[in-house]
Amino acid sequence: MGAPEKELMMLRFQFRNLLQPVKSGDLLTGRIQRPLIGFCPELRYQSGLGYVCQEDEIRKAMAQMSLKPARREQVMEALEFWRTESTQARTRAACPAWVNETLSSDDRLLESGKAFCLYRMGGTQLDYGKLLELGLPGLRHEIESRQTATSDTEARELFGAMLGALDLLAESCRYYATQARGLAADCGDADLTCTLSRLAEMLESIIVRAPATLREAMQLMWLYVLMSGTWNYGRMDVYFGPFLSRDLENGVLTVPEALELVKALWRLMKDGNECQHNNRVYVGGKGRPDEASADRFALLAMEASRTVHLNQPQLSLRFYKGQNPMLMDKALEALGEGCTFPILYNDDVNIPAVMHAFRVSEAEAMEYVPFGCGEYVLNHRSVGTPSGTINLTKCLEIALNNGVDPVTGREIGLRTGDPETFDTFEQLWEAYRAQVDRCVAALAAQEKIEYDVAGTTAPFLFLSMLYDDCLARGRGIFSGGVRYLGGTLESYGNTNAANSLAAIHELVFRQKKYTLPEILAACRANFEGYEHLRQDLLAAPKYGNDDPVADAMAVRVHEHICHSTRDQAAKVGLDSYLTVIINNAMNVTFGRQVSASPDGRLRGEYLANANNPFPGTDRQGVTAFLNSLVKLDPAIHAGAVQNMKFSRSMFTTSLPKLKALLDAYFAQGGAQAMLNVVNRSDLEAAMHEPEKWGHLMVRVGGFSARFIDLEPDVQREILKRTLNE
Amino acid sequence: MNDLRPANDVRGIVFDIQRGAMHDGPGIRTTVFLKGCPLRCAWCHNPESRALQPQEADPVRPGDPCVIFGQEMTLEDVMREVRKDRIYYQKSGGGLTLSGGEPTVQFEFCRALLRAADREGIPTCLDTCGYNSPEKFLDLLPSVRLFLWDYKATGQTLHEELTGVSPELIRKNFEMLYERGASILIRAPLVPGINDSEEHLMALAQLVRDHPRLVGIELLPYHDAGLSKFDRLHMPRPILNTRPPDEDTKARWRDFFRHSGTSGGLANITSKFA
Repeated sequence: MGAPEKELMMLRFQFRNLLQPVKSGDLLTGRIQRPLIGFCPELRYQSGLGYVCQEDEIRKAMAQMSLKPARREQVMEALEFWRTESTQARTRAACPAWVNETLSSDDRLLESGKAFCLYRMGGTQLDYGKLLELGLPGLRHEIESRQTATSDTEARELFGAMLGALDLLAESCRYYATQARGLAADCGDADLTCTLSRLAEMLESIIVRAPATLREAMQLMWLYVLMSGTWNYGRMDVYFGPFLSRDLENGVLTVPEALELVKALWRLMKDGNECQHNNRVYVGGKGRPDEASADRFALLAMEASRTVHLNQPQLSLRFYKGQNPMLMDKALEALGEGCTFPILYNDDVNIPAVMHAFRVSEAEAMEYVPFGCGEYVLNHRSVGTPSGTINLTKCLEIALNNGVDPVTGREIGLRTGDPETFDTFEQLWEAYRAQVDRCVAALAAQEKIEYDVAGTTAPFLFLSMLYDDCLARGRGIFSGGVRYLGGTLESYGNTNAANSLAAIHELVFRQKKYTLPEILAACRANFEGYEHLRQDLLAAPKYGNDDPVADAMAVRVHEHICHSTRDQAAKVGLDSYLTVIINNAMNVTFGRQVSASPDGRLRGEYLANANNPFPGTDRQGVTAFLNSLVKLDPAIHAGAVQNMKFSRSMFTTSLPKLKALLDAYFAQGGAQAMLNVVNRSDLEAAMHEPEKWGHLMVRVGGFSARFIDLEPDVQREILKRTLNE
Repeated sequence: MNDLRPANDVRGIVFDIQRGAMHDGPGIRTTVFLKGCPLRCAWCHNPESRALQPQEADPVRPGDPCVIFGQEMTLEDVMREVRKDRIYYQKSGGGLTLSGGEPTVQFEFCRALLRAADREGIPTCLDTCGYNSPEKFLDLLPSVRLFLWDYKATGQTLHEELTGVSPELIRKNFEMLYERGASILIRAPLVPGINDSEEHLMALAQLVRDHPRLVGIELLPYHDAGLSKFDRLHMPRPILNTRPPDEDTKARWRDFFRHSGTSGGLANITSKFA
């Protein structure tokens, strides 16, 4: 049996248990529960791609069941089979020895290490515009025509399996239609019966024709999403905008009804498919053909996020100079209320940056869409799954210990020399660089192997049907179908590595106040007995203060990791391989496994998040903070994220100043911003851990003050006031 | 003596530079705080600004290193910091604000900073209590885009009692600068039960009526957030029988000016009520 047919078989098998029932009151429907053994591009919180088997979950489930010995035996046999036959296991097995040695563990959550693999085919962004234009029958027709026209057996087999996959999609519509009819008959409530009947009719009609309304378009898109296992939704205002405009003009929908529909979709994203690290929706930006309709949808989407009160989806707004200003105004309104969405992306910086980083034309760069935690890909024409993570602070720690991880005592790095023998800073830099480069090379090699294994294992039918060039080439997405096969590497601990290097540079090599062995001894002792030394380390220049020395080191670390990564693409045969510096909990997880670092950070303490300064060390005001951020070149990576917190009054009485501040940041090269309102819990945290909150400015009467410098009763007053705002 | 030195060698004692300041004049600003103040306001929240020379203070949190308020800087040292935020000034209509203390106490340094900023096209604000010789203010006038001018108390005796100096010179300077076309924003700290009498509020309203070219008035409600600094500097806390204004008091102030507003000229009253 060929790979396409095998995948189809698995899809059919898992389909029986995949879909979860319709709920009363649903305007749209579609919820899934992923089976513990099955086929999908990625899993929610764990590693896995293609054929996956969640052994831990199965064992947990078995522990709570009373199984007959024979049945238990069968399950154990299955587990044994998947231990070598899952796509993840096959990827691991396909890696050469040096890669497996460099990346010795896959347990990034619990083990100490400098780099880990993440097994997944994440961040695919499908061509929903094409799906909605053609509808199910149209897509089927295109595939059938191609199947008839080609004599390529591999392609014919692929197209055949795709048609089978489309049958499953139609089956999912029928499944929900039948359920909705059943509920409508039984519910006894006239309004609800009407809603459910309408839902059933809609589900039946999208099987036989292309969607005609926004409601139908959303339903078809969402069921396709669920069947495909993807978690990112591309440029939603581009593909839904025209439907919205048409419905409003034809009187099919009112604005409040349209808003309810969008909120219904948001709830499904949260409900049936929760994944906080994904669920990206894009609105705004250059390159939208029907911009007026798209703007209309964008405003609706932001209003939905503002009023739905969910932490999903990760609505993101792209913007450019000359865009309808209502979009940014709406964004600031939502953000000022504490909504945290949309996330802001500056096209005027990002498009040229993407052209350079990905080496593509302006027209293609315009289609950049960050997924997940902020990794850029090109909408339905490139993939860039983040399959590797690196901890730069750990790499420095290992360089400072000549290849040994002081946390475990194991030798896990290169022998880059005894630091006692380093006479110059450049020798230390060389050691650090070599440790990082070795990991990057291994991760790049692993990424390519992962694609190759994925490509020979399965065509990923649902992804391939809506990815550019796959149908024309008659190949699955990872089997030669996709236009650009790229990869991304998640880099953590950049700021702490840079601050540590800057502190060593300053105190050991410039001031000559301490020797490197003294610093290392202090770090090993978690600074116990070295309080003065630690104060000096803390007082050394820190990134985030617009300080030329500290920021130059941050730039050096940034440019090194970005170039080291980018240079690997050609060597391993990828179209791009780029660093991402993103925001999730890995900075905390990785921090647990790093001993005290020469920036004064304590053992096990978290690392700075993404591109941000280490908490509490940016103390020169918001403009200095922003000036530091923009020194890190965005044109050599595939995404970095910036968190910014402002008091509520910046969004109200000082809104013009906030706009000017953002305007200046974006004009200077700011690519991205995640804005948050300072809230009660921030202030409480600042009272408990003042050393982490040196940057927090608050307004007191006629002046602004550093919160941590205020007396407790004044702090409490501000806390009370913040709560009331 | 100072005038003979090259301008960029002028030195002064600075106790803080706040970048990204949002409340010290229009737009986003860099506020440079100079040490030294001739007044002793009863509600002072910057006791570290009074003495001209640097001074040591206890840390906010026990165990942290001591804090030195005041650092000698050259003109160029300060300007290097100020220049870094040029783009924010341009986008927001902001610039440099000199504050203190009373910034004109270090007159040469103050003038050199204002002139340097002005020459470089960075808009300037001078946050002043107005207590210095008229000649000095005249000298500064060409390089000050906007004066943030304190109006602290009404009545000779009360003013002396609350600030330690007579209001006469301050008023004279104000009139002189106004006559010569200076842009002036009045900043009025309001301290419940201390200086917020009806007479004072009426005097403020009258000031605006008599000076239609005033940029406006900012009402600054009293706060006690600076009190702990007295302890840290080993200075006795001032005895002031008041509390930060409650909502009713703020409403009373607000209402007063809203009703006076009918006579015109009071459109630019803004309250910095947090």
